[in-house]
Parts: sequence; structure tokens; C-alpha cells
Amino acid sequence: MIRAHGLPLAAILAGAAALMVFGLGSGSYWTIVALNLAMWIALTQSWSLFSGMTGYISLGHVVAYGIGAYVVAFSFKIVPLWLSIPLAGVAAGLFALMVALPVLRVRGPYFVILTFGLAELVKYILLNVETGLGKSSRLLFGAPKPDTLLWIMVGLAAAATVALYAVHRSRFGRGLDAIREDETAAETIGIPVVRLKVLAYAASAVIPGMVGGVMALRSTYFEVLQVFNPTISFTIVTIAIIGGAGDARGPILGALFLVGLSEVLQNASPQIYLILLGLCLIGCVLFLPTGLVGLLHRKGGAR
Amino acid sequence: MDFLLSGQLLFAALVLGSVYAVIALGLNLVYGTMRLLNIAHGEIVMVGAYAAFWGFSLLGLSPLVALPVVGVLTGAIGLFLYGTLFRAQLAANKPVAQLEASSLLLFFGVSIVMQNLASLAFTATPRAYQHLDTVYQIGGVAMTGNRIATLVVSVAILVAVLLFLNRSIYGLAVKALIQHRDAARVVGINVDRVQTVSILAGFGIAGIAGALVSMAEQISPFMGFPFTIASFVVIIMGGLGNIVGGIMAGFLLAFIEIYAVALTSANFRSILIYGIFVGILVLRPQGLLGKARRS
Repeated sequence: MIRAHGLPLAAILAGAAALMVFGLGSGSYWTIVALNLAMWIALTQSWSLFSGMTGYISLGHVVAYGIGAYVVAFSFKIVPLWLSIPLAGVAAGLFALMVALPVLRVRGPYFVILTFGLAELVKYILLNVETGLGKSSRLLFGAPKPDTLLWIMVGLAAAATVALYAVHRSRFGRGLDAIREDETAAETIGIPVVRLKVLAYAASAVIPGMVGGVMALRSTYFEVLQVFNPTISFTIVTIAIIGGAGDARGPILGALFLVGLSEVLQNASPQIYLILLGLCLIGCVLFLPTGLVGLLHRKGGAR
Repeated sequence: MDFLLSGQLLFAALVLGSVYAVIALGLNLVYGTMRLLNIAHGEIVMVGAYAAFWGFSLLGLSPLVALPVVGVLTGAIGLFLYGTLFRAQLAANKPVAQLEASSLLLFFGVSIVMQNLASLAFTATPRAYQHLDTVYQIGGVAMTGNRIATLVVSVAILVAVLLFLNRSIYGLAVKALIQHRDAARVVGINVDRVQTVSILAGFGIAGIAGALVSMAEQISPFMGFPFTIASFVVIIMGGLGNIVGGIMAGFLLAFIEIYAVALTSANFRSILIYGIFVGILVLRPQGLLGKARRS
């Protein structure tokens, strides 16, 4: 199966992994770069598990990230990290499960805007809760070093990649594909549309929850506005579009592209970086609807 | 609770409502006729605000005098985007769902580019200027001149657009396109021309609203986002593509916002807006005032 594609998933994985191992071995700068790369891969693969598969574009994936970060920050020094990070994933998944039924009834542009609004709503509710508790921010003293966090993040990125890869090849994935192609038709031929959507939606929140928890530890600082930043949701979608959400290689390519571009330009001029990112997004939507992955397909012989 | 009956709150709600209604009207025209989800709409407001600011501080031009120029400028931006990004897609008659999704992503790209171009050109430092800020006491209510002007101009725009849509042949064509694209084409409406008119009007109005807003609020490259959100809340409350519903919803949102904040505290403003937003989408996606539409 893998060989059928232009550039095998394995090669891309190896490249990304090499960069991350490089990050582990050499100074703090590369550790941070590798951590960012692994984070975007984990987030975008998870996003793709739901949005890429079903065609329901979520513009509010940051909600899982933020909830996860909040769980870890809230329970910091109360619950050990080996427990609180998985709990962050569970909490994000449970939240998604809770809201899934009403949210997933909504379709098309309404769904896109709804996911965004929902993330903002949760953000402002938690902001008021934190203000009520008298905590405008929380400092996480004694969080693990970036090296340790990088390992966890690489694990999450790998897990998300494998999950997406597996779903693509499963009955579950076929069902989701059918929903993307024509939901009504899928329902008519007996695919349990609602159950599949709810499951995929909840599953796609678990890893971002844990990623959020790890990133809170990474910044040793927690503030609601920072972890619920809508830019995170937007970036995930941008990576998926640029890389291509068709299979598990797309998000990795997209994340490599984004992190590369950001490392080259972010410090020189964040504005030019973002302008280029916006132009790349526009270019991909217009001329490369299957993303960088589509380019690979074309090179490897279209089929 | 006496303060709830004060004219001060009423005036604030009317001014805010008229601004919401105008900005959302622009968004609604573009969505209604072409099914383009313009999440860069707030950035057009931002451009209008900057244009008014520079006109005032470099040329000493009153924003009220500059309004038509600002409208033409942002209308031209709309035409440029229409020609480069959307005309071909619209002509290809792609499925609505696909058009909505790709327009959302394209406009998202446009929004990032515009914010950062503005930030490069004008720096991220917020700016402001003083114009027509004399306070008038009318019936015990303190009003600044620029807010009165904002209210008057906004209401004039709303009336003008409604008249245009109901009386002029082009306006009727715009309405026809909103109601049924294919049928409009069949009865011989020049779809491309009507789309051009809608884009010009939609973007032009947003720019003019930006010029109005700039008299009373700070101007920055990132000021557009809250307007994008507010206008989406408004047009969804009113029913996507429903022009009159959108105008009513603009005032409704402003009244809810102003009075609820007065009753509670400013901290709850965002919870309230997004709460209404999520609630309506989940419970009544066709909008509070809208009829059920085929999606």
C-alpha cells in the first residue's frame, strides 16, 4: 500500500524523525524547533482524523488544546504528570463527546463558524472562571525540561500519525469517507452516520488535549487567552490545506513547510512570514487543492 | 434599575446597532448573491478606517467628506479579489458547499495578508484622531458629534440600500440572485454584472463603516476581527442572505450587548456574544428571523 504512493510515508516519517532526533542531540534551539514541529504534526493529524476524513472543517480545534492545557495547569503539583497529561486528553475527548451531538447536526458553513464560536465561548467562560478564582495566570514552576517534553510530543505526533493511517485503512475510515462524499446517501445505505461522526469528533480531540497539556508545561506558564488562541486553530487548517489532508503524509509535509518557513522568517519579519503563509494558503486552495501531497502523487505518476 | 430607561443607553445601542447593521449588510450581500463566506470582512473595515485616518491626518479631510472615496477604494479591493480569486470559480458553477468552503479558506488567507500588510505599512501601534468630538446635550443625553454622524450616515446607508434593492432594476436583480441563482440566470439576468455590483456595494459599505468607526475607536491592523465576528453573528441571527433580517438582527445584537453589559459587567460581553452565537447555530441555524432554507 505504502509503495503505491510517490514518496512513501516511511521516508517522510524518517525525515521528520531525523530532525527531531537532531533536536534532542543538539542545543536548546533545535529542541524547540523540533518540539514545534512535533506539536503541529500531532495537532494536524488529529484534525485530519475528523475534518480531513469527514469534510466537516473545524475552525475551533484549539478548544481541545486549551482544555488539555487547563487540566494540566490546574492539577499541576497536585496530580503527577504521568497521570495529568493523559487526563488532559480524556477531558478534551469527553468535552468533544458532550457537545458532539448538537454541534454535528449543523452542517456546511454553519458548522465551520460554530466550531470557531464554541472555542471562543469556552475561552471566555474559563477566563471568567479564572478571574473568579483570582488567577489571571498560573506559573508552572518545576515543569520538566524541553528535552523530556520533546520525547512526549514526538510520541504524540507518532501516535496521531499512526491513528490517522490506521483509520484510513479501516471500516471506520471508509464510513467517514462516505460521509464526506455524500452524507445523505451514506445514511440511506445504512452507515451509522451519527455514531461515526461523534466517534471521529471525540477521537480527534484526545491527542490535541494532551498536546495542550505538554505545551503548558513547555511555556511553564498558563494563561487562558494564550492557550485558547484562535490562531492555533487557523494554523492547523493552514497546515492541512498546504500539506494536503488526503493522507497521513500531508500534515507532516505541511508542518515541515510551516516550521521551516517560520524559522527562516519569523524572527526577521513576522509580518512577511504571515503574508507568505497567507499567499501559500490562497495558492494551494486555487491551484493545489490536494496540497503538497498531491504534488508527490503527480511526480510519482498519477493513478 | 432606572438607568436602564436612560436615553444614554438607548443612544449607545442605536449607534452600535446601526454600525453592526451596516457592516453585516455588506457581508450579507456578498454571501447572499455569491455564497462567498468573507471572513476578511473586518479587514475591509480596517482598511476603511485607515483610509479615513490618513485622509484626515495628511490632507485634513473630514472622514465624512472622504466617505465616498473610501467606499470606492474598498469597493475596488473587492473587485480585485473578485476578479483574481472568485470569478472563475463562480462561473464554473461549482457546488455551493465547495464554494463556501474554498471561499472561507481563500478569504482567511486574504485576511492574514491584509492584516500583516497593514502592520508592515502602518506598524501595529494603535492610532486615533479627534474629529467632531464636541459633546451635545439633547434631551438630557450626552452625545458626541461623531456618534450622531455615525448614526445618521449608517441609517442613511441602510435606507439607500433597501431602496436600491426594492426599486432599482439592478437591486431587483441582486435580490433575484439571492433568492435563486440558477433561476436568475435563466430569466436572463447578467449574473456576472450583478455579482460585480454586489461586491462593489458589499466591500464599499464595509469601508465606509470603517471610516465611521474610525472617528470614535482606535485604529489598528487587527481591529477588523471583532467586526468579522459581530457581523457573522448578526447575519446568522437574521438568516444568512436575508437582508432585512440581517439589519434587524444588527440592532437586536447591539441592544442585547449594551443592555446586558449594563446589567452585569463588561467581562460578560464576550460570553454573551458567543453564547448567543452558539445557541442560535445549534438551536435555529436558519436564524432567529429567517425562514428555513435549503442548505
